[in-house]
Amino acid sequence: MSMHEQFADDLALYAFGTLEGDDRVAVEAHLRDCPACQRELERLRGDVALLAFSASGARPPARSRERLLADVAREARRPPARPARKRSWWSALQWATAATVLVLFFLLIRQNVMLRQQVNRLESSSANQQQQLLQARQLISALSGPEADHFLLVASKSPPQPQGRAVYLARSGTLVFLASNMPLLPPEKTYQLWLIPVSGAPIPAGVFRPNAEGSGSVVEPPLAQGIQAKTFAVTVEPKEGSQAPTSQPIMVGTRG
Amino acid sequence: MSHTASDVVPTDAMLLSAIRSGDEAAMAQLYDRYSGVVYSVALRIVADPAVAEDILQDLFMQLWRHPGAFDANRGSLPGWLAVISRNRAIDFLRKRRPAVELEDVVVNVEPEMVRGAEWSLVREKVRSALAAMSASQRSALEMSFFEGLTHTEIAQRTGEPLGTVKTRIRAGLLALRKACNR
Repeated sequence: MSMHEQFADDLALYAFGTLEGDDRVAVEAHLRDCPACQRELERLRGDVALLAFSASGARPPARSRERLLADVAREARRPPARPARKRSWWSALQWATAATVLVLFFLLIRQNVMLRQQVNRLESSSANQQQQLLQARQLISALSGPEADHFLLVASKSPPQPQGRAVYLARSGTLVFLASNMPLLPPEKTYQLWLIPVSGAPIPAGVFRPNAEGSGSVVEPPLAQGIQAKTFAVTVEPKEGSQAPTSQPIMVGTRG
Repeated sequence: MSHTASDVVPTDAMLLSAIRSGDEAAMAQLYDRYSGVVYSVALRIVADPAVAEDILQDLFMQLWRHPGAFDANRGSLPGWLAVISRNRAIDFLRKRRPAVELEDVVVNVEPEMVRGAEWSLVREKVRSALAAMSASQRSALEMSFFEGLTHTEIAQRTGEPLGTVKTRIRAGLLALRKACNR
């Protein structure tokens, strides 16, 4: 045993519960950090308890037993009475219900906030797209309008040739076509643009009539999405357009 | 005690377990086993049978209400009951409210020491050891235990030096320990 001798006598008094004042404070402080003295204290308490047995011999009066058993019977630990259990069950259910409602309430509020944020994001995104589309349309409209100046640079002394430029986005079916130097057509005729798919028949891609300067355009004709184009071509068709080319193309595109 | 065959003596742990289940007969059996030591200790201290009986009643009712307060792993039930009885009686003498709750008392007496017939053997060993001590040493132990006097109070009463009283008390406890082979 490696208990600390300087605390030995005080530890015995502490086991009796009769150590007071600073000595008690010092022993308690030491006990907190000393397992050896804690073990010795437990043994000393056992020694103290032995003294109790030296007192045995007296018997309590018989009525004391009856009194205790009567008190015990009065405080019998029966299972909780039915109404109490029912009340407690009902009360628990009410609490559970209230808690559930509260949780649902907060979940709904949270979901509501999230949905609002999502709607705001979508609205904002949609507005941005609208704005971009508007700008694109204004740009195209401006570039294809009568105020736009067009310059075509060709070899000197060569007469200007009809030219067209198609920009096509297959994924969304978006097409912009600008043409210049187009010969004027009689009123019953029109130019028609064709999308020549990788496989299959030419698909109508809009009609246009050039202005006095020979410029014309087709912007976002109704085309299905996802059609891969091999190239584009322009034919002269009746003014209402055709479902299939009725003449040889006057222009056929090359990638570039 | 209809549940217990006459030739089977339930252990304290079995009785406490039954008491936890609300077995009133087990409570009666435990009372029969240990009311003597609880009452004797209280009576020795307060010297008033009515007060000693109140302490006895109160202690057993608390055990009935809180059977889990006694931890069988940390001591013997009679030792535990005796020390609580002593503490309550001294509190009464000193007009104090109970200073120690049931749960706070740890009495490290090996259970096998105080089981059944052996427990009267322990009593005899303690009495013999006390008889073998000097009167002043026995008196110092008894004043500490049965009167709850501090060593200062004992020194004042006996006119002995404080250090002597302290040393004597510890030596007396160690002599008891040795006599009971603890």
